[in-house]
Amino acid sequence: MNDGNGWASVVNRREAFLGLGAGFGSVALTALLHADPTSSSSLHPSAVASPLALAKRCIFLMMEGGPSHIDTFDPKPELAKRHLQEFSRSGEMESAMSSGKRYFVKSPFDFIKAGQSGADISTPWIHLKEMVDEICFFRGAQVESVNHPTACYQLNTGNQFGGDPAVGSWVTYGLGSPNENLPGFVVLPRTSYPQGGAGNWSNGFLPAKFQGTPLRPEGSPILDLSPPAGISRQRQRKNLDLLSELNRQHLESRPGRNDLSARMDSYELAYAMQTEVPGVIDIEGESKNTLDAYGIGDASTDSFGRKCLLARRLVEKGVRFVQAYAGNWDSHDYIEKAHGSLIRSVDKPIAALLRDLKQRDMLKDTLVVWCGEFGRTPDNGLRGGGQSYGRDHNAKAMAMWFAGGGTRAGHTVGATDEIGGQAVECVHHIRDVHVTLLHLLGLDDNKLTFYHAGRHKQLSQFGGDVITELLA
Amino acid sequence: MPDKEYNARSTVVGRLWILYTCEELARMKRALWYSIVFGLVVAATVDGSTCAQGAEGVSEFSDAEKLFALQVKPLLAEKCLPCHGADPNEIEGGLDLRTLADLQVGGDSFEDKVLIAGDGQHSMLYVTTTRAEEGYEMPPKEADQLTAEQQRWIRDWIDAGAPWPSDERIDLIERAYAKGEQVLVSKALSQQWQNRRYESEKLWAYRPLHQTEVPRDHHPIDWFVDRKLAAIGLPPAPPADATTMVRRMVFGLTGLPPSPDQVTSFTAAYQVDPDEAVATLGDQLMASPHYGEHFGWRWLDVVRYADTAGFANDYSRPNAWRYRDYVVRAFNADKPYNDFVREQIAGDEIDESNIENLIATGFLRMGPWEQTGMSVFKETRGQWLDDITDTVGQAFLAHSMLCCKCHDHKFDPVPTRDYYSMMAVFSTTQFAERDASFLEHENINGFDASDKWVDAKIAAYETQKDELAAKMKAQRKEETLDAKVGDNGLDPGDEASLARMSKNITRHDIERDRTRPIALSVYTGSTIHRSNVSGRIRLPKDRWMKGEIETDVIHNGGDVYSQGDPVTPGALSAAESIGQMSEIEFPDTMDSDGKGKRRLALADWIVDQTNPLTSRVIVNRVWSWHFGQGIAGNPNNFGGTGGLPTHPELIDYLALWFMDNGWSIKKLNRLIVTSQVYRRDSRHPDPKALAEKDPLGHLYATFKPRRLTAEELRDAMLTVSGELNPAVGGIPCRPDLNREVAFQPRQIMGGTASVYEPDPTPIQRNRRTLYAERIRGLRDPFLETFNQPGPDKSCELRETSTVAPQALTLINSQEVFDRAIAMADRLIRKDLASDDATIDRAFHLAFGRSPTNREIAACVAHWREATAEESMITYPSPDFPDQVSRTVMAEKTGQPYSFVEIMPAYSNYTPDLGPADVDARTRGLAHVLRVLLNTNEFSYVD
Repeated sequence: MNDGNGWASVVNRREAFLGLGAGFGSVALTALLHADPTSSSSLHPSAVASPLALAKRCIFLMMEGGPSHIDTFDPKPELAKRHLQEFSRSGEMESAMSSGKRYFVKSPFDFIKAGQSGADISTPWIHLKEMVDEICFFRGAQVESVNHPTACYQLNTGNQFGGDPAVGSWVTYGLGSPNENLPGFVVLPRTSYPQGGAGNWSNGFLPAKFQGTPLRPEGSPILDLSPPAGISRQRQRKNLDLLSELNRQHLESRPGRNDLSARMDSYELAYAMQTEVPGVIDIEGESKNTLDAYGIGDASTDSFGRKCLLARRLVEKGVRFVQAYAGNWDSHDYIEKAHGSLIRSVDKPIAALLRDLKQRDMLKDTLVVWCGEFGRTPDNGLRGGGQSYGRDHNAKAMAMWFAGGGTRAGHTVGATDEIGGQAVECVHHIRDVHVTLLHLLGLDDNKLTFYHAGRHKQLSQFGGDVITELLA
Repeated sequence: MPDKEYNARSTVVGRLWILYTCEELARMKRALWYSIVFGLVVAATVDGSTCAQGAEGVSEFSDAEKLFALQVKPLLAEKCLPCHGADPNEIEGGLDLRTLADLQVGGDSFEDKVLIAGDGQHSMLYVTTTRAEEGYEMPPKEADQLTAEQQRWIRDWIDAGAPWPSDERIDLIERAYAKGEQVLVSKALSQQWQNRRYESEKLWAYRPLHQTEVPRDHHPIDWFVDRKLAAIGLPPAPPADATTMVRRMVFGLTGLPPSPDQVTSFTAAYQVDPDEAVATLGDQLMASPHYGEHFGWRWLDVVRYADTAGFANDYSRPNAWRYRDYVVRAFNADKPYNDFVREQIAGDEIDESNIENLIATGFLRMGPWEQTGMSVFKETRGQWLDDITDTVGQAFLAHSMLCCKCHDHKFDPVPTRDYYSMMAVFSTTQFAERDASFLEHENINGFDASDKWVDAKIAAYETQKDELAAKMKAQRKEETLDAKVGDNGLDPGDEASLARMSKNITRHDIERDRTRPIALSVYTGSTIHRSNVSGRIRLPKDRWMKGEIETDVIHNGGDVYSQGDPVTPGALSAAESIGQMSEIEFPDTMDSDGKGKRRLALADWIVDQTNPLTSRVIVNRVWSWHFGQGIAGNPNNFGGTGGLPTHPELIDYLALWFMDNGWSIKKLNRLIVTSQVYRRDSRHPDPKALAEKDPLGHLYATFKPRRLTAEELRDAMLTVSGELNPAVGGIPCRPDLNREVAFQPRQIMGGTASVYEPDPTPIQRNRRTLYAERIRGLRDPFLETFNQPGPDKSCELRETSTVAPQALTLINSQEVFDRAIAMADRLIRKDLASDDATIDRAFHLAFGRSPTNREIAACVAHWREATAEESMITYPSPDFPDQVSRTVMAEKTGQPYSFVEIMPAYSNYTPDLGPADVDARTRGLAHVLRVLLNTNEFSYVD
């Protein structure tokens, strides 16, 4: 693959076309991926990050499916007393999910008070419990939907019906990317995309370059990154040479057509990407200690371990926003088994990530967010005709935590009621979480706007408040 | 300074305001209503001084009082009071701005420095608006910030001593001096809003259509456009040459590339008589069924067509295709647009025995929607009502109605009451998949193949399921604890698979309806509570017996549980008043039984000849489809925030002309393509003058080049490769798509959706992209990359971005590779006299022109070299297994498990022609052709 001719040719071509005297090192991979020279708008013109903000980048650990707060970080001893007692809910706001015979379900897990801060954490978290003093737990968040795709959209884009830009798109739109050799917003999805699909990292109405770039865990990390079988790199280079020759002749009679020359450039960038991207995502150069720490190589933790390590590598190289998916936390049936193995699959990788960031002195300016699209209910309906220790969806209470980036380490903010049915203290709509996240990154939701369809649009949709209790 | 502002010469129409509730309006005879209202209209042309003499006692008003009454007070009300007084219980920062006394007391932060009478520069009320005070930028939202002029009003008013006249005096000042227009609308939520004034020019879309006389012997479009160009001294570009014209027209009217024959005959005719040649070609193209396909997808963009319902289950909408074909038929038959509108909104209410009408109402069901066991019916019902109210507003009236769901519209004269009145039109509309036998002109080919595939898919699942159930039965243990904890001896992957298979059987079972005589439709009746919808909804025997007739109210704050004022069916009151519309009666006013034909009334209201919006909206859309931009900049938004028309007289002329010509889209197209404006070169002889005088390209001195849309690009490749199956209409086809995406596990409620299986034969797959099944949860990455919009929101105009993944797709994807091989094979089989001739033919197919000598030389050399290389390579015949193994997560245990899925489509799959099927010379040529398909010239229309 690494044929000298190809490279020389790329550099010469770029020099010829773009007047760049540098080699590939200075070619922006952001541009490689999403170069859109025809687009008039690039970064938000006036959203200069506040210099006071500590967070410079964000790693968003997205636990899709709805992890249970009651079985992770929000113990409810009251449920042990009411275990298997019947619980009736009513009212026109209740869905079919909440009708029928229902009963309380205690958590199958014990809880301990961990760290100096004495944070509540369930016992399956054997690694993360060592890191709780770096964490600010939040129990006050609420969303509006109890359906996965709508809740995911709301959490990721602020709009439960989708179509709007993702948080990561807004952040890169506001802050750009310090290292132009990488895309600003990278998504590390599971092999199966979440409900709602790629709409969860859409650029919405923002320019295409702010779209999340998913690095697929299997197969080609980016679609069509390699030519079909049988086409050598040399052959491809020659084809591209003919292409640029024909395009150049076409352009001669159309001087000043920037859209055409931009399109020509995009081919050179695409060509270069084919070797650049695999290099960026190759983690084999990491030490065995590191790989072990993240649980890479151990079947139960390998998948998310790779994502966490890749997230660190990406932010270290200047990626602004990384969102890594884990799941599926939709445990309607067996909390003990399902949440047990899910916690095991993320516990070690996350602890390693926090520790790694801390050791590299990056935790102070890297905001780490952990949450799902909603929480779970303290009760369950009959499953397959019988009782089963699982939980349904709950939009009124959920688990969420923050670490680093100017958040209030070693604290637990807000509270849910005695059964974990809904948030009752420091209650905030998810839009306030969005506003707070932007604030931590030095962005003001009210200023980070984009004019579209006749309105200045913003992540929070119509404005929201910073949750000051979460700030250091 | 302030004097200048509000004394500037302006036309003022002050309308004395009378409040009506909706019910009162509904009861009132419209004629009477208007006579009352307009009887009280006070209209005057004002320029400060002259007016001052006319109004009683006005000489007593100081400039500062006027400044306050006309500018500062409304500004405070709009920008400050929401947080500083509107809700006395929630006054931010202790600063109340409702009275002068409150203002003088100040707030927590700046106390008496908020207002220092006589010293605007140092009064914090002013300073905060300049955003100079860190942490106190007011209003906080940047989107709301005051303009420099507005900031000066506040400063100047304080400098002048901050006078705060009484409400009576303010009222007198307003009557005498207020600029802008008040608009008669139904009752607003707030008096403040009700009284507000609008910049006259932003109300353009509501005004009655204005007829401009065009001199005889002038093409009206040319006359309007050239007049404007002449005024700024910018000569238009010369006409485009024949090759450019034919490509522009064939793509423009059919979305396909011109055939070499079309180019030849048009070029000959164009030399004889260009006008005649263009008119003839235009008519020929519009007579082709591909015209309706091309214009059809544009409409489908507006209505967000898809073949699935979206969200968690993304169930198939098996009969949606009949609506898609209805749209294609409507354009091909040149159905008058007013009928097109009426049928889509109210076809069933017009005549439900007419099957075409039932199919047309599929429009009402196009948005994403689902009702699962997890959702609350009242909310999902509310979501549909919001969706359809907004969609009707955007599609037909260019009004984004959602903007006024929670509050009176921020910019436009649309009160929240209008929103809920229009929503009330739909509150008796109910979903049904209705019996509707197939029409003679519907394409019912391929039904057998579709049924067979669905049957095979279900059968495969049933077999697997039975085997699995038997295995599980043998394994299952009694659980010993007090409840199920998963200790049942079963492999959790098996349990998940069982659920997955059941779910997919349900999903495929729905697809059986695809070939059945059913229309995705609606009926008028009571609302029946449904807790879970996973299949066909049938028409109830008695439409009013079960369920309830919804109470039509304003939902305060947009909250579906909050009951506000009652409303009755209606539409946009501003269009009625400003537009001086004729009276249209809506049924189901307060005292009726609520069973009237509400949608029919709305449809009639929309297509009424006196409706100022409707014909403007559609002519603007059609214009934008030809020119890549509307006369008014936002085809979905004619409000004050949308782009104002660049040629207001032209849009009005066209709107009237359109109605006079029977609402015929084809006639409008003919008028457009025969204009010189449409036929201009995309290059200007004086680019500098063009850049200076028309930097935004709004004046049409040149024709704006455009990149092909995603659909056009794919269709064009299939056309030039000779693979396109030009059949029109029918059940959705399934083209090949990137296999990594096709086979990627996709989560749905309760498991993993079946993989995407393409149709087994090339002729089924290689149809126009319009017919490719549109799955909301699984976008074709090729189309998405080339800016095909998502089917969840109405798309007013396609966007064009240029990003590297597009290049990757075009240079690397299997699909483009296949097209090049097929095209090469097609050319080689022609057995032309020489390599040069083959290349010449390739250029004619791809670009509609002959290659230059330089191009021939480069391509022939490339071909030979590539052939030499290809002769060293052998390609194995590709293997297409009919099952796939996948690994996903078991929800119950949070652990991965693998399963095998049967793919019946691959049991008799015929791939497109591939490299293994052709010789090295053909493959060598394919390299050249792939380059041609990648060129700018192929992707752009000049």
